[in-house]
Amino acid sequence: MILAAVVFLLSREAGNRPADLSGTNLREAVGQDLRAEEARWGSHYQTADRPREFRFPDDHGPHDAFKLEWWYFTGNLASADGRHFGYQLTFFRNALAPAPTAIDSTGDEPWQTRQLYLAHFAVTDVPNRRLTAFERTARGAAGLAGASADPFTLWVDDWRVESTGRESFPVRLRASANDVEIDVTLDPQRPIVLQGEDGLSRKGDGPNQASYYYSITRLQTSGTIRTKGIDVPVNGLSWLDREWSTSLLGRTQVGWDWFSLQLNDGTDIMYFRLRESEADTPEYASGVILNADGSRRDLKRDEIVVGATGTWTTSDGVSYPSGWTVATTDGRTELRVEPYVEDQELNLSIRYWEGAVRVNGVHNGATIEGNGYVELTGYADEAARGRVSP
Amino acid sequence: MMPSTNPLAVSSLRYLGRHPWLLILSMLGVALGVAVVVSIDIANGSAARAFELSTEAVAGKATHEIRGTSAGIPDSLYANLRTTHGIGEITPVVEGYGRLSLNSDITLRIVGIDPLSDAAFRAYTGSGDANFDLAEFLLNSGAILSEELAGSIGIAIGDSFNVVVDGVAYELTFVGRMIPDDDRGSTAVNDLLVVDISTAQRLLRKPGRLSRIEAILPSDSSPEADALRQLLPAGVELVRTESRSRILEQMTRAFRLNLTALSLLALIVGMFLTYNTISFSVVQRRELIGRLRAIGATREDIFGVVVGEALLIGIAGTAVGLVMGVFLGRGLVRLVSQTINDLYFVVNVRGVSVPEISLLKGVVLGVGATVVSALLPARFAAVTQPAVVMRRSISEARWREAAGPMALAGVVLVMVSLLVLAIPNGGIGGSYAAIGLGILGYSLCVPIMIVLMSRPLRSVLERVAGVVGGMAAGGMVSTLSRTSVATAALSIAVAATIGVAIMVTSFRSTVVSWLDSILQADIYVQVPGQVQRDLQTTIDEDVVSLIRSTPGVANSYGVKRLDVETAFGLSNLTAVESGEGIENRCRLKSGDPRTISSSFQDFGSVLISEPYSYRHNLNIGDTFWILTDAGRTDVTVAGIYFDYGSDQGVILMERVNYERLFADHSWSGVALYADKGVDLQRLIDRALARVGSRQELILRSNRDLRQYSLDVFDRTFTITQVLRLLAVFVAFVGILSALMSLQLERAREFSVLRAVGMTSLQQAGLINLQTALMGLYAGLFSLPLGTALAAALVFVINKRAFGWTLQFELNGAVLVQALTLAMLAALVAGLYPAFKLARRSYASVLRDE
Repeated sequence: MILAAVVFLLSREAGNRPADLSGTNLREAVGQDLRAEEARWGSHYQTADRPREFRFPDDHGPHDAFKLEWWYFTGNLASADGRHFGYQLTFFRNALAPAPTAIDSTGDEPWQTRQLYLAHFAVTDVPNRRLTAFERTARGAAGLAGASADPFTLWVDDWRVESTGRESFPVRLRASANDVEIDVTLDPQRPIVLQGEDGLSRKGDGPNQASYYYSITRLQTSGTIRTKGIDVPVNGLSWLDREWSTSLLGRTQVGWDWFSLQLNDGTDIMYFRLRESEADTPEYASGVILNADGSRRDLKRDEIVVGATGTWTTSDGVSYPSGWTVATTDGRTELRVEPYVEDQELNLSIRYWEGAVRVNGVHNGATIEGNGYVELTGYADEAARGRVSP
Repeated sequence: MMPSTNPLAVSSLRYLGRHPWLLILSMLGVALGVAVVVSIDIANGSAARAFELSTEAVAGKATHEIRGTSAGIPDSLYANLRTTHGIGEITPVVEGYGRLSLNSDITLRIVGIDPLSDAAFRAYTGSGDANFDLAEFLLNSGAILSEELAGSIGIAIGDSFNVVVDGVAYELTFVGRMIPDDDRGSTAVNDLLVVDISTAQRLLRKPGRLSRIEAILPSDSSPEADALRQLLPAGVELVRTESRSRILEQMTRAFRLNLTALSLLALIVGMFLTYNTISFSVVQRRELIGRLRAIGATREDIFGVVVGEALLIGIAGTAVGLVMGVFLGRGLVRLVSQTINDLYFVVNVRGVSVPEISLLKGVVLGVGATVVSALLPARFAAVTQPAVVMRRSISEARWREAAGPMALAGVVLVMVSLLVLAIPNGGIGGSYAAIGLGILGYSLCVPIMIVLMSRPLRSVLERVAGVVGGMAAGGMVSTLSRTSVATAALSIAVAATIGVAIMVTSFRSTVVSWLDSILQADIYVQVPGQVQRDLQTTIDEDVVSLIRSTPGVANSYGVKRLDVETAFGLSNLTAVESGEGIENRCRLKSGDPRTISSSFQDFGSVLISEPYSYRHNLNIGDTFWILTDAGRTDVTVAGIYFDYGSDQGVILMERVNYERLFADHSWSGVALYADKGVDLQRLIDRALARVGSRQELILRSNRDLRQYSLDVFDRTFTITQVLRLLAVFVAFVGILSALMSLQLERAREFSVLRAVGMTSLQQAGLINLQTALMGLYAGLFSLPLGTALAAALVFVINKRAFGWTLQFELNGAVLVQALTLAMLAALVAGLYPAFKLARRSYASVLRDE
């Protein structure tokens, strides 16, 4: 999720030297840029500063008045003979300037736009212990990239999400790059979940440090994944995270650990924490347990404990936690989370770890299993900072 | 080569040292020849390099490009390729030209890119501080320019500046510095203005269009390329990114070859000079050589020393020539690039590169030519028996005997040359070689012409100037080995200037009569183009209708010029409203004037200009394809017309047919016929007032356009004129050095004459008369040769290089000028020896002997 904040930087870099992005001072750039940007264009972005009423299908579409937005699809799929795949297809929208200063795409200048889109596509081929990741960027104009609520459509180049019928869902996801391709249909199994306080998800103490955040935590998924030129029919579960915001991170926040877990008994768990660089500052963390019967339990920071059980280090020395215990303090949930493949790092214009995980443990007194996705960001930045400051 | 203690080598140095003027002049001859060759090479090379660099700076990593008609391709195709077909490695480009201000002579290449997909193709900005603000780039008409260009405008990042395109000013923001990959690229990016696609479409008035889509593909025959081709609609093609410098190479080949040939002529004159100097030095020391031979110096020794002497002159002259050439080249680069801009395409030559190969050429040609020209005198010195060398008169007798056979050989060479020139559609290189052969043949005839002319002249001069007159005329024949070579050299040099001058005046008068016949309208409306050959300028449709409906306009027609892909590569297509008849718009060369008007209006029929017909060997009834918005469309040649505006040739199409084939309604120019009695200047003012600030336009009256066209013509021939002047200068130096050496050589002869009673005044008279006589001979001999050369240039070279039919116009002034030049140089040449010999005591000269 923190990824999107980095898009700020991407926009500054014009995509020329994407690799240089990691290691730059993310937090300051975001804070300062936003102020400078608003001053430059003489207007303001909308901010996620109070609860709002969500409306669908409108809110499936873009919220251009906010700086950032994303549509985050992840999922665990398996073939009939048990081959396991993880996939991620993410679309980010980043506004270059607040409305209405600049001319948005009009008939006259179809290429001009404030909106940039970035998409990531990754497939984890578990039997081959391999993650392949790709990136696309395009302006939200001239038909190259964009999003719309009704009909629900989302695309960057030929990576595309669109409703299969008249309703927003089910949706069909298609993306391909080199010899990797995904073509799956996602059908929601539970209603939309508003995260945080009725969809207002706080990320820090600042007045605007929040996002609007909803999820569809369980989407029945079927279709094909193609790796190495061979189509494999697959089935499984996906998760959709939707967020839009204008300011996310505090000055001292360095990164983000995010968990989405889908248990076999129908329980879905979301948890995130924002890591602090200063030890005495309490971390922001939040979670929710969605039970199979539709009930939910929101977890405060002190109601859930997540601890890393191991680490995995890249060849160039970036260390990520690898393997966790997730436990609620009431003792009703105790889970072990293990990555399917250790190396699920995406080294794109933004460097982060996002991977399929296997879950087992005890929930509500019963032994359960499940799958999930974990996102770890900011670790490469920390490693870079560690190198320059002894 | 002999050691320096060798008496001959020592004498060689001493001899050259004793005659510093001679040495300097002959070195100057070589130096000028080398300088002209090197400078032309540098100028040509710099222009070619400039285009190559600016192409490279833009070309990036693309292997292929998707091109349509010059109106561009719809940008929806790009989106379609990416979003529907998932073609990833492509990027759109919108390209055109602009200027910093209306009066700026710096043409900017405006390149619109999509920064998000372009990164894989080009690296315009470096890392670190050089990153540009994408928001400003996309939303505030941001532009990336080179540090140098920004510095010359005086702007810092964030500042705004103006760019003028098609006469309309736009404000852009300087958002980023272009950082070239290496030094080589730094001059190349100085004319580049990189903006967003949306900005470029607005500035260049290409809404919804792209100039091209670039692609990176594994190979032309790869499955990816084939798949991409399948996706392209009619009128759009996938082609290899042909290095545009190669197109430049092809377009300007004839132009540059002509310049090179002219420059070589200067070198040939230089060669004659060296030959003359060396022969002179050999003859001067004939007695010394004879004695050395008698005491045992071998032929090889003698040969080596003479060649060594030439080598010395060659090396020294070449060294000076290289330095001069580099300086001259810097001046010529401007002229050459100006001509290229006028005739071919937009190129800004900022830096002058001095490639080693140009210098090497200069060294090889300079030293080589000098040594080659010394071979004959060296052989002469080496092979002759000692006793014979000592007797000059024998060699002169031999020359007189040889004059006849030499002339015979010369006539044969001239015949061969004429035969080669007569071969229809021969190559340009071969034609130049034939011209060279003809010149050689002609110079072989010079001795006999001197002998033949001197007899009647002698009796005339005897009557006019007494003994001195007779001696002057007789001296021409008695020292034939000297006089003939010198005279031939001068004739060639002077003839070259005559040839070029007559060719240019013929060309000009042809253009004048052509302009008079085709400029029938009263007022011509154009966009102030960046350069003459910028075909991208267009006038807005509504502006055109405003102008055409100006009160006082009786009638009008519009033209649209553009480049189209054809069976013969990129060609210039002109769409014209033929109105009451195409025969009023152009002068037919072939085609039936009675039916041409209606056949021109037939769909699929075109006229082609003479150079186009010549270049591509097309005749009436021939069919070829051109790429239109409907795909490859066959057109048939209905007629061929005279056109001197473009050596690449033009395809002419009726506007109605054009609009059926191309989705384009814009105009490049409009011609207006005024109502009877309307004041043209008032009409121009009225039309301009109607247009207002919508677009900056140039309205020229018939007379002004005619003058303007001739100005451009003269401008394009400036380089030729400069070369001609250089040739004149070389000729002048040649005459000076040849005649001076000749007279100095005869010091002993004169001393004897003085001893037997000739006064110093008489001596001066004899010397000046004789040099004047040689100048006269050279001048006279140059007239037929120069005229023949002009004819060859007009009828053969221009035809073969450019396909133009020119009317030959013999220009008396040019001939008189040539004669005057030769005589004047000859008179100046006589002054120094006369002065020098008059001062020397004849007794001491005789004693020295």
